[in-house]
Amino acid sequence: MSKSQRQEMGLTRREDVRRRLEGTSGRGRKLRGLAGLMRPYRRRVILMSTALVIGVAASLAPAPLAAKAIDGGIIPGNLAVLNLVVVVYLISVLLVWGCSYAQTFLVGWVGQRALADLRRRIFAHLQQMPVGFYERRSAGVLISRMTNDVDALNSLVTDTIVTLFQASLTLIGSVVILLLLDWQLALLVFLIFPVMAVASLLFRIASADAYKRTRETIGSLTGYLQETLSGVRVVRAFAQEPAHRKRFSVLNESNRSANMTTVNLNAVYFPAVELVAALAVVIVILFGGMQAIDGKVEIGVLVGFIAALNGFFDPITQLSQVYTTYQSGMAALDKIFELLDTESDLVDAPDAIALPQIKGEIRFDDVSFAYQPRVGASGDAGAVKTALDAVSVTIAAGETVALVGATGAGKSTFAKLVARFYDPTSGAVSVDGHDLRSVTMHSLRSQMGIVPQEGYLFSGTIADNLAFARPQASREQLEDAAKAVGAWPFIELLDDGLDTQIGERGAMLSAGQRQLLAFARALVADPRILILDEATANVDIHSELAIEQALRRLLAGRTAIVIAHRLSTIRQASRILVLSDGRVVEQGDHDSLLALNGAYSDLYSDWAKQASAA
Amino acid sequence: MQPNSEQLAPPDSGMRTFLRLLGFLRPYRRSVLFSLAFALLAMLMTVSIPWLTGQAINKIYQGDKADLKLLAGAVLLAGILRGLLTVIRRFVAGRVSLGVEFDLRARIYAHFQSLELAFFDQQQTGQLISRATVDLQAVRFFLGYGLVFLIQALLTITLAAVAMFLTDPLLAALSLAPVPFVIIIAFRYGRRSRPALQEVQQRVAELTAEVEENIAGVRVVKAFAAETRQRLSFDYRVGRVFDQSMVSTRLTAFYGPFIGFLPQVGLAAVLFFGGRQVIDGNLSIGAFSAFYIYLLMLIAPMRTFGMMLGLSQRATASGGRIFQILDRQPEVTGRPGAGALPEGGGRVQFKAATLRYPGASRDALHEIELDVRAGLTVALVGGTGSGKSSLVQLIPRLYDTTLGAVLVDGADVRDVDPALLRSQIAVVNDDPFLFSTSVRDNIAYARPDASDAEVLEAATRAQAASFIERLPDGFSTIVGERGLTLSGGQRQRLAIARALLADPRILILDDATSSVDASTEQQIKAALREVMAGRTTFVIAHRLSTIALAEEIVLLEDGRLVAHGDHAHLLAESDLYRQIVEKGLPDQVFLTRKPAESETAGL
Repeated sequence: MSKSQRQEMGLTRREDVRRRLEGTSGRGRKLRGLAGLMRPYRRRVILMSTALVIGVAASLAPAPLAAKAIDGGIIPGNLAVLNLVVVVYLISVLLVWGCSYAQTFLVGWVGQRALADLRRRIFAHLQQMPVGFYERRSAGVLISRMTNDVDALNSLVTDTIVTLFQASLTLIGSVVILLLLDWQLALLVFLIFPVMAVASLLFRIASADAYKRTRETIGSLTGYLQETLSGVRVVRAFAQEPAHRKRFSVLNESNRSANMTTVNLNAVYFPAVELVAALAVVIVILFGGMQAIDGKVEIGVLVGFIAALNGFFDPITQLSQVYTTYQSGMAALDKIFELLDTESDLVDAPDAIALPQIKGEIRFDDVSFAYQPRVGASGDAGAVKTALDAVSVTIAAGETVALVGATGAGKSTFAKLVARFYDPTSGAVSVDGHDLRSVTMHSLRSQMGIVPQEGYLFSGTIADNLAFARPQASREQLEDAAKAVGAWPFIELLDDGLDTQIGERGAMLSAGQRQLLAFARALVADPRILILDEATANVDIHSELAIEQALRRLLAGRTAIVIAHRLSTIRQASRILVLSDGRVVEQGDHDSLLALNGAYSDLYSDWAKQASAA
Repeated sequence: MQPNSEQLAPPDSGMRTFLRLLGFLRPYRRSVLFSLAFALLAMLMTVSIPWLTGQAINKIYQGDKADLKLLAGAVLLAGILRGLLTVIRRFVAGRVSLGVEFDLRARIYAHFQSLELAFFDQQQTGQLISRATVDLQAVRFFLGYGLVFLIQALLTITLAAVAMFLTDPLLAALSLAPVPFVIIIAFRYGRRSRPALQEVQQRVAELTAEVEENIAGVRVVKAFAAETRQRLSFDYRVGRVFDQSMVSTRLTAFYGPFIGFLPQVGLAAVLFFGGRQVIDGNLSIGAFSAFYIYLLMLIAPMRTFGMMLGLSQRATASGGRIFQILDRQPEVTGRPGAGALPEGGGRVQFKAATLRYPGASRDALHEIELDVRAGLTVALVGGTGSGKSSLVQLIPRLYDTTLGAVLVDGADVRDVDPALLRSQIAVVNDDPFLFSTSVRDNIAYARPDASDAEVLEAATRAQAASFIERLPDGFSTIVGERGLTLSGGQRQRLAIARALLADPRILILDDATSSVDASTEQQIKAALREVMAGRTTFVIAHRLSTIALAEEIVLLEDGRLVAHGDHAHLLAESDLYRQIVEKGLPDQVFLTRKPAESETAGL
């Protein structure tokens, strides 16, 4: 952070340093969260820790053994002691081997299992969130929780944490060995401790901001890349490639300069640690050597000392190296927990009952509804606008109702409230006299079919998609449904018929075919209540008729709410609700509404004018 | 969008890719050589310290205090020298590494910008992004750090070996005997773990695809109460990832400690044989100590060596994926010496223009013959897949004709510089894409140098100024994915303003009036009349009122031009056209394609 930036934020130098220090600590909650993930596997974690401790202890053996070999075996010429040292050493090596095998395996197992649990938890959490949650967030952000952030955690649990413990234990073990070998010499060497501590602290403070900036700049770089790829058509159409390249270059450069800071810090810090290590060797040689010559210290102890110094400085370097992955792992953990902490505002009431078999009567009692603003948008023009305003309507079982009105009149909102994608802000929606908030969502929706405007299909076969709501449906039932909506002719022509793979989002099919499959899917579900958002896209002139007939079959014999865009559909409805600004302003059938000379008749004459304009 | 995905060329062999990756270092070869030289010198210092220490131990043994001080001084000097050399080396190498990263990223981005639209139709955006991020990361990690560490580890091993052989060849041979095995096993580990890791990546990708599908299709899942089943299916995929991760973990657990174990055997040999030699007087106590320290020093580089081999394997795999993109040559490029469009008012001729998308089995457009004189407004009418969009995309050369030609003001579009051609053509889509930047920058997209007055004028003529002024920050309001969400009608008017400011000869409107209510539509109509005046305009019409804007109508069916003329002429001549007029294009009475902001998500 530059001086000017600091001043901008109104921070003194002291406060700034404190802020940075805090940025490097305060991981309590996240660590507890991590520990929570490991809890189901605590026996393996204990086993792993045991292996880790034994392994580290055994790996420290070479230094004291060297001292023993020289002073007890080589100098006095005692072969028995030398042989014993070799045997002990070999045992320690085998111990290290076995322990690191066990530890690597267990860390992998527990880490991967914990990640798998976390993935399941995130997915289950997402599944349980209401539709409104998704409308306020971009899909990309949600997906990146599951991909980038879980990935970052992956390296945290498999690499970083083990290194952290291993390096710390090695450090402590080395200190103990040094003290045991010769405490006076050890204390002399430890004089460099404060120097190291101060250097490490400075490094952490200086690099905390740098690493954060690196992450931020790489984030905006990726965001920019993503955006220009989604908008590639516009870029090409206006031939603005050079401008985008230039802008990308600027972002790229700011990422490089953020990285440069970390490179510079590393360039100074790591050689500094090495220099201090060499300094320690000099101290040992000079002071230890003098004492050895004076006969106060044995030579083997000196060699052991120098060997043990290795175990002392290596972990310090390692700890600094894993610092980056540690930080980005923690940042990822933050984002994941933030997602998991977002509670669903639409859950089954504790005393919710399963909705019994319904007849399909729908009632709106004085229902009002307003949408929440989108997360992340800087203020939203339509945020607090009421989408439905004191609507009271009863739809009889088996009735087909068409919702008609201009954009934003509240048609979709009306339909979404019936499916309980949202709860009304005030008033109540009920089915067969049951307030929707008093029944379980599963029991409600399993008796309800919804056909969205874009016939969203999942990758898999046609049969998989048709049977989406009823996996146990027989082949005959699927075939019948496909025939009823007129989808059979094209399915039959496909090489694998019902078992044809339709690709991501049904990419192998035309828009009209996807629409028909969505109809058939709803027909297989055979719901009591059907909600249909009619497609407005001009499918193609020849399949218009097929869709019109399919619709007739689909609507027959159930309560249907249709967000209608076609005159032919509107005419099929027994009742038309005309919405305007969130209110039902007129209702009735086509002819009686025309006779009213009101809103409906205005809309109709607008259309008629358009039609005749040609 | 074409569903069939273009197959990228299979990646090169590992070795070739590896060498090509090294090619990215070429612009920095002086820095690379420099940092290699410094690394070598620093390593010499590192290796000299145990030797000096060994000498010091000998002096201690002999009780020579004066020489001891001298040697301690030498160690200190070596330490300081090493420190300085390393700092310089790291400064230089760090810059190289960041430079390579910068270049790679810029190169991939520039390459994306140079590829034609057809390429993007056939690739999943997610795939492209993952290559530009995840794969790039692996490559830059290796070129930036991995290579240096690898070379450093090799240097350490070699130099220490040399020092040891100089001290005592026999003991050196004995204690270094495991080294070749370490290298062989490290290579084998790399060979076995790479496919295992790739399979993990593959399964993670499947998992990601499933998450994506479930998030995009959340309404269907909720609507049919299928949460539990989707969760079970996801759990299965998570299990598959776990199983494969364990395959890879088992390999690591076996090879990692094994690689660490081998050099320790050398240490045991030093203790056993070296110790005896010292007792027999054939080896000095100092040399023995130096050996011991050398071997301890070697444990870390050997481990690094194994790790870096793994890193290089990953970098090679990722490099292969990156080169697949970089090797894909752009197909729509300007001919050398291609110039600007000749003077003219925007006459467009299609001469037997045929277009077949790569991998498609039939023509999207078949031998279209059409001559549109300058300043005319033409409506294109036909169902989905009839070829309306394909036809207009040929004009700015977003795609090239498979056969035949497209001429603008008499010049074949392939003979004109694409940038200059496109600067004379503006497109207004039915679902306009806005960038995450200010309203002003979006309007001035085609002409970033436009003055504020020009931007305001364009916005006013596009009927957009009044709503823009009501936005929180007016013209500086950030819109797009990461900003304020605008309604369909608002975005359309911004797109019209964008087209107005571009001031093109030719205007292409893709169903631009289908998504708003009546009063907004009146405003948009007015805006359209502004922007259409004096330009050749192609309108992809979905309803009769849009057709009414046109002087001529082109009727398309299955990629063929079936009728062409004015309204009266077509009514008289074409059965299909009569049918359309009678049935209406879908009778969009009261509605909308893109509902208001809060409802964008649809049902």
